[in-house]
Amino acid sequence: MNEQTATEPTRAEQARKVALAVQDVSKTYGATRALDGVSLEVTTGAIHGLMGGNGSGKSTLIKMLAGVVTPDEGKLALKGDWIDARSHTPARAKAFGLHFVHQQNSTFPDLTVAENLALGRGFESTAVRSINWSAQKARARQVLDRFEIDVAADTHLVRLSPAAQMMVAIARALQDQDDTDERGVLVLDEPTASLPKHEVDVLLTALRRYAADGQTIIYVSHRLEEVTAITDEVTVLRNGNVASRLIGTEISHDTLVAGITGSTSGTHAGGLRRANDAIASRVHLSHAAGFRETALTLSRRTASGLEDESLLLRAGEIVGIAGLLGSGRSRLLKQIFGAVPRDDFEVTVRSGTVPSSDMRTAMKRGVAFVPENRLREAALPELSIAENLSITSLSEHSRAGWIRPSRERKAANRLIQEFGVRAPSTIAPLTALSGGNQQKVILARWLQRRPDVLLLDEPTQGVDIGARNEIHELVRAAASAGTAVLVVSSDFGELAALAQRAVVISGGEIVDSVGGPLTEDILNDIVYAQEKAL
Amino acid sequence: MSHTQDTTNGPVAASDAATSPAPVDAAEAEQRRKAVRSRTGKARFAGFLEAYALLVLLGVIALFFCFWSETSSTFPTVANMRILLASQAVIGVISLGALLPLLCQEFDLSVGNIAGLSAIMVAASVSSNGSVLVAVALALAIGLVVGGANALIVTRLHVNGVITTLGMSTILAGIILQRTGGLAPASDIPQAMTNFGTGLVAGVPVIFVTLLVIAAITYFVLNHTSLGRQIYAVGSNMEAAKLVGLRTDGLRAATFVVGALLCALGGLLYVSRAGGASPNVGVTFLLPAFAAAFLSAASVRPGRFNVWGTIIAVYFLAVLNNGLSLAGVEPYVNDYVNGGALIAGVALASVLYRRRTT
Repeated sequence: MNEQTATEPTRAEQARKVALAVQDVSKTYGATRALDGVSLEVTTGAIHGLMGGNGSGKSTLIKMLAGVVTPDEGKLALKGDWIDARSHTPARAKAFGLHFVHQQNSTFPDLTVAENLALGRGFESTAVRSINWSAQKARARQVLDRFEIDVAADTHLVRLSPAAQMMVAIARALQDQDDTDERGVLVLDEPTASLPKHEVDVLLTALRRYAADGQTIIYVSHRLEEVTAITDEVTVLRNGNVASRLIGTEISHDTLVAGITGSTSGTHAGGLRRANDAIASRVHLSHAAGFRETALTLSRRTASGLEDESLLLRAGEIVGIAGLLGSGRSRLLKQIFGAVPRDDFEVTVRSGTVPSSDMRTAMKRGVAFVPENRLREAALPELSIAENLSITSLSEHSRAGWIRPSRERKAANRLIQEFGVRAPSTIAPLTALSGGNQQKVILARWLQRRPDVLLLDEPTQGVDIGARNEIHELVRAAASAGTAVLVVSSDFGELAALAQRAVVISGGEIVDSVGGPLTEDILNDIVYAQEKAL
Repeated sequence: MSHTQDTTNGPVAASDAATSPAPVDAAEAEQRRKAVRSRTGKARFAGFLEAYALLVLLGVIALFFCFWSETSSTFPTVANMRILLASQAVIGVISLGALLPLLCQEFDLSVGNIAGLSAIMVAASVSSNGSVLVAVALALAIGLVVGGANALIVTRLHVNGVITTLGMSTILAGIILQRTGGLAPASDIPQAMTNFGTGLVAGVPVIFVTLLVIAAITYFVLNHTSLGRQIYAVGSNMEAAKLVGLRTDGLRAATFVVGALLCALGGLLYVSRAGGASPNVGVTFLLPAFAAAFLSAASVRPGRFNVWGTIIAVYFLAVLNNGLSLAGVEPYVNDYVNGGALIAGVALASVLYRRRTT
């Protein structure tokens, strides 16, 4: 492999050693080949970036390393010993010193730093098996010193900055490694996704220090800037294959984007973007000429009053919101609907302005919201399908507060037919349905109101492919009936399939817009380009 | 997380527009409807058994006591039936008061002492000035104030409902003790009131009819109005209820207030039936009322707390206790039976619920 020849001289000695290697690993889910003969070598003491868009196979690879997903074939070498990757297990991963720290980390905010560290390995105990708190604290201080984390052992974790919390999580994962060459590999999965900008630098500095100390790190991230800043080598996956391997100075924004999106050169991405800008402004012009009615406007509020619209939707239009994890895409939808307060922009729909934090008025003004997490935020599990449907339209089904059962039943039957819900009957509880059918019920619940604006957050998450297409059809039908749809999806393929144009969001702000026709690659290009611009 | 969807990536998505099934065609729909019909036919009997198991059990136990030699002369008498129906009417009303917050997944542990305080205050008031109207107003005021306080603490200060109502219940016990000194006050209840408590209409105790009327009103509000539907929605998933624009705090508050009003009404009914009030009656209300409210999820609408299930549960427990007492068993046996029935009933409800929804 060419990694070893191009590494910096300072790493020349270590470069001979490979901490972890994967060879020809494949994994198929149904009709989808998630990993197709992927090979990868991670140099001891290096920070190895692992990148790829949605559906690239990145997370399958990580799960495979953790022993959670069993591949169909392939080999795996940890510290030089080759094993059949199919026999890899979580216990084995642990024994080999593979340490995973995930973005939604597994620390306990209400416990102290010392307690969090101890939960990873067991408490120091006294002769009578009670916890020896002073020994515990002393050990925690020692760990904190070793990882150079400047916090007190008895501080509650919730009081620490997000970066410090992440570092405690890392220290917890690594605390049992001794300083000899028996070190394992630290796998960081999107560690900065929920960190504010200035905190990211704190974490990256610490990671560089650990690597300089000889710690091997696999760094999984969407963020090009971070990957170019700290990695020594990078593997980019695309469609289950290794798209490129980059070392040292080869790692740049353009080479990474080329790998992720498959475009031939980085400048191509720039060109594409300019073309799209032109289309976007044309789209804007056509609106100004009054082709269709305006359904939704977001206007930024500044000291001098209301500024230009940052987002404008016309009736019947489907617009995507593209952004990376942690870009604030779900939050934006909730702010528009009023589920989360907003103070920096104003929302106007056809029938007036939508006040902040007032979902009832938003609904009255014709806004509908299908949240991301169906189970937690949308389903009324014990209630019947009919009851789940009518909950947004109780006044339609009642007179003077009394529900008219026949009307409700009729409406429910009509809706499950119209929306293709496969249900035994309308009185069955919602939980009797499959995920896809539940989602159709939630969609029908809102679309029966004939909203002017439909906000969709991850409309097909956890839904099988057949139901996914049906849901897309239903959304398109709603749009052609005049509803303006704003859709968030982490799956850019879905955005490309549904939306005519998209806006790009980063750090909670709309930073760019893309005209149609959309493709997954164009979206990847623009979203990652935006990452660099920041 | 963004990369949970490896299975639904680009190429697949692009190709499936062609395979997208149109809304199911008519023949298939008809076939499905037929299948559903035959399934419901078979399921109907099982569904009935599920829904009315507790009622059937109530009947079986009642029949048993009618023929068991120990109780065959005392249980199936008109007098005993009247005592049974009337004595449980108060518990019935209070258990409806416990049921309402429970529908929103809130516990009101102060139900017993609200009824207790109401009973003490009503007895004292009516004994001193003889006005039934003032007594009724007083009971309702107590319910309103205590329920309102519970509601505000839970929805505005965000204190857990169990803690709030446990604290409230303890404070109410203190007020009762302060007012009575721990002794049953001498009472002089007007004839009109005791007539109501002990009277019969068409041979049935008036107070039992009162319970049925209150239960019927509660049932209609919960099951046939928009308000009731919203309460059930909050109980099912508060976050989702919020996101479809329901006033979840207002609804929870309403169940606390109306629940407390029912309990205070229960206290009033108690005085009219017992002709007085003793300081520790509140405590004896709490457990049976809660047991019945919980057991309601085992009948009529399995898996869901409901009004008629609660009433059936009240009388199920009452018949069991009454029969055993008449048979002369030691009092501790009743405790075993009550505790066992509660656990078994709720376990049954949860099994039924899981079977129904998975």
